[in-house]
Amino acid sequence: MARHTGRGISAIEYPTGMNQNGDPSQAWIKIKPDGRVDVFSGTSDIGNGSKTIQSQIVAEALGVPYEWITYDNSNTDSSPVCTGTFASRATFVAGNAVLKAARSAREKLLEIAGKELEIDPSDLDVVDGEVIAKGAPQKKISVPDVAAAATWVHGELITGTGAQLNPYAAIVEPDTGKVDIPPHAAISYAACAAEVEVDDETGEVVVKGLWQCFDVGRAINPTLVEGQIEGGALMGLGLGVLESCYPYYPSVEHRGSEFGSYLAPGIEGLPEFNTIVIENPSADGPYGAKGISEMANNPQPPAIAAAVYDAVGVWVTELPITPERVLRALDRKAAGDAGPRREGKAVIFDEELSVNTVAHPESRFRFPVGA
Amino acid sequence: MKAVGARLPRYDGVAHVTGRTQFVDDVRVPNLLWAKALRSPLHHAGIVRLDTSKAESMKGVHAVVTHADVPRNVYGHLEALGIPADEPLLAEDDVRYRGQPIAVVAAESEDAAREAVEAIELELDERPALFDVRKAADPDAPKIHHWGNWYPHFEAGFDHRQIRKGDIDRAFDRADVVVSGVYRPAAIEHIPLETQVALTVPEPSGRLTIYSCTQALYFSMGVVAAHLQWPLNKLKFVGGTVGGGFGGKVDTAAETMTALLALKSGRPVKWRWTREEEFLCSSTRAPWHMEIQDAVTNDGWILGRKMLTLHDSGAYARFSPYGVTKHSFHHTGAYTIPNLHFDGYVVFTNRVPTSAMRGFGVTSVSFATETHVSRIADVLGIDPFELRLRNANRIGDTSPNGIVYTDPSTVPTIQAIAEAIGHQLPGAYGTMTRDPRAGDLLPEHLLSAVGEVDH
Repeated sequence: MARHTGRGISAIEYPTGMNQNGDPSQAWIKIKPDGRVDVFSGTSDIGNGSKTIQSQIVAEALGVPYEWITYDNSNTDSSPVCTGTFASRATFVAGNAVLKAARSAREKLLEIAGKELEIDPSDLDVVDGEVIAKGAPQKKISVPDVAAAATWVHGELITGTGAQLNPYAAIVEPDTGKVDIPPHAAISYAACAAEVEVDDETGEVVVKGLWQCFDVGRAINPTLVEGQIEGGALMGLGLGVLESCYPYYPSVEHRGSEFGSYLAPGIEGLPEFNTIVIENPSADGPYGAKGISEMANNPQPPAIAAAVYDAVGVWVTELPITPERVLRALDRKAAGDAGPRREGKAVIFDEELSVNTVAHPESRFRFPVGA
Repeated sequence: MKAVGARLPRYDGVAHVTGRTQFVDDVRVPNLLWAKALRSPLHHAGIVRLDTSKAESMKGVHAVVTHADVPRNVYGHLEALGIPADEPLLAEDDVRYRGQPIAVVAAESEDAAREAVEAIELELDERPALFDVRKAADPDAPKIHHWGNWYPHFEAGFDHRQIRKGDIDRAFDRADVVVSGVYRPAAIEHIPLETQVALTVPEPSGRLTIYSCTQALYFSMGVVAAHLQWPLNKLKFVGGTVGGGFGGKVDTAAETMTALLALKSGRPVKWRWTREEEFLCSSTRAPWHMEIQDAVTNDGWILGRKMLTLHDSGAYARFSPYGVTKHSFHHTGAYTIPNLHFDGYVVFTNRVPTSAMRGFGVTSVSFATETHVSRIADVLGIDPFELRLRNANRIGDTSPNGIVYTDPSTVPTIQAIAEAIGHQLPGAYGTMTRDPRAGDLLPEHLLSAVGEVDH
């Protein structure tokens, strides 16, 4: 009886935005008389950090400090449409909406500043909360002074609106699945290596290390990106080795109904994380960003499954890879029954799980096996 | 300083970690009533009799709502995308999963509401239940959904989502090896710390203010408006701060119920699900059954893929047809496979409806594809990095539905992992790029899968 170490890898891709698109987000911005900025967006923050990310985008686009931004997503009377925080769309789609709103507010800001400085707005820039003349930075006016002038001198309100909508991609050939335009806003990519330790006596799989590389397009906030990747990895560990609503699926018996009877990852026993972020900018994302929030729990389960095979020579393809499943697979291997079956050029795994074995011979659900 | 790229602290971080963030259950309003639901105790049954009169006459009970009180009881969350409605807000003639709501009560306390629920008289006619998607098309399978045992409303009358590309038979004829495997990731819970919760306050103006934990304010407002048959300006959703969602709070679970109870009672109503309800009655990630058969060459090219997916949708469609379509679009993973034959079914079972969860439609296929590719590498005796890099999608390659990839990063991410773990990549694989295919990495069988090449 021994503990065996193994390593496995995976490579994945994941789309940004709703599949087939057609999912709008809108935003608007107003600037107070002292230059402070109110952002109204309909994006729910589900812990993904969208309040922070969207505030950073607005600060960058307007050229004012992050601390000047107040972000309000609290209600539908003041905030416009956001399709929602799902489909890895809050940074890209809703982020583009606030970016466009900020750019439109910036235009209005420069128009007022141009009147104050008597300089054409196209010759002005905003840097760190000051409007400066390009090439002559001594000619400047602070954003608070511009906002005050707008309010008290010019009788204007500095606002901006923005909306992002990637058009709906229709399936033009229902028999082949062909679509007319790209059905995603962007695609993100990741690769992963997992190192596991498998106890051949207890069947327990412990994930010791995870090396993960994500192409995020552009990390608007590297700390939050790393949090997404490592937090998502914990969910991937749950999928891979711990969690199941139905421990005897497809049976519905023995469902866990409380934390004590449902095994989810905790903060204890974390693997060692090695996180690599690369930035191949998306052509259409805000500052090149793509969405990675959902895919963060996708690469671990297959890397773990391959690592378990590397460690003890059995494939477990029903998740989670529980001690019971590992031990049953080891028993089959010891009995010389671990598969695959070979027939001509066919290499056939998992026959016992297939519809061909489980379904009625006359069932619509059959799958061709064998070449 | 530049804001983009900066490691700024979370906008709401201090409030979260000091317990000062206001979530829905923290909102206090006077004259509050509390809601509880009568849920089906059986997996599959006909409703023979439903009598709420005793419950309605109990002390402290201010409203009981059943299907008869809902202006539009059956509404589909994705009707705008052509997915018709099948799920009642409150069960009418049938219950199709254990935990399905049948009636909701508003009372002075949660205990009073619970007692009223227990006083509702319900008579059910139990029917056989179906749990195994693989047996859903058996001749003797229980009939569990009025559409049949799988979703029949894809475009052009298709009862499944299919992808066809290239010449699948030729690919399998040419293959040196054909590798088959079955992949079955499990249903899991979203486990938000904040269970499903909503508070509806009827305003003197006649509007309803709905405090919601939704991940999608306007989407959920649209759902409530559709059930009530109201214009949007009579509703105000308050939210935007969610105590964990992961997809489960795209389902609009408690908002419409509290709205109906508030309208009937004229009082604010809060419904907060117990942890047990969250575990047993909220939607889960779907279990998937996936079978893959790949035609490969001895030197590690994947020439073609046949795939069958049975998606366990639970009792109703919800977002599942969307999820299976997304799944089909990504069923080749990060690789370019020129010949494809994919069939995916949304299969109904008598379990709690499955719904969106982080990675919807693709988490499953990432597991299946990547485990299968690892197996192919092992069967062929090829370095798993090399096999992946060889078949990796490249700029100019086309996706399963014919879209040209413009910025795939499969190659650089795999190379980064090889370097990070100190794995020496064989041959030219360490220096290859994601640029369009050429030379040895553009074999004849891939010519038709390269977007710029006209064949």
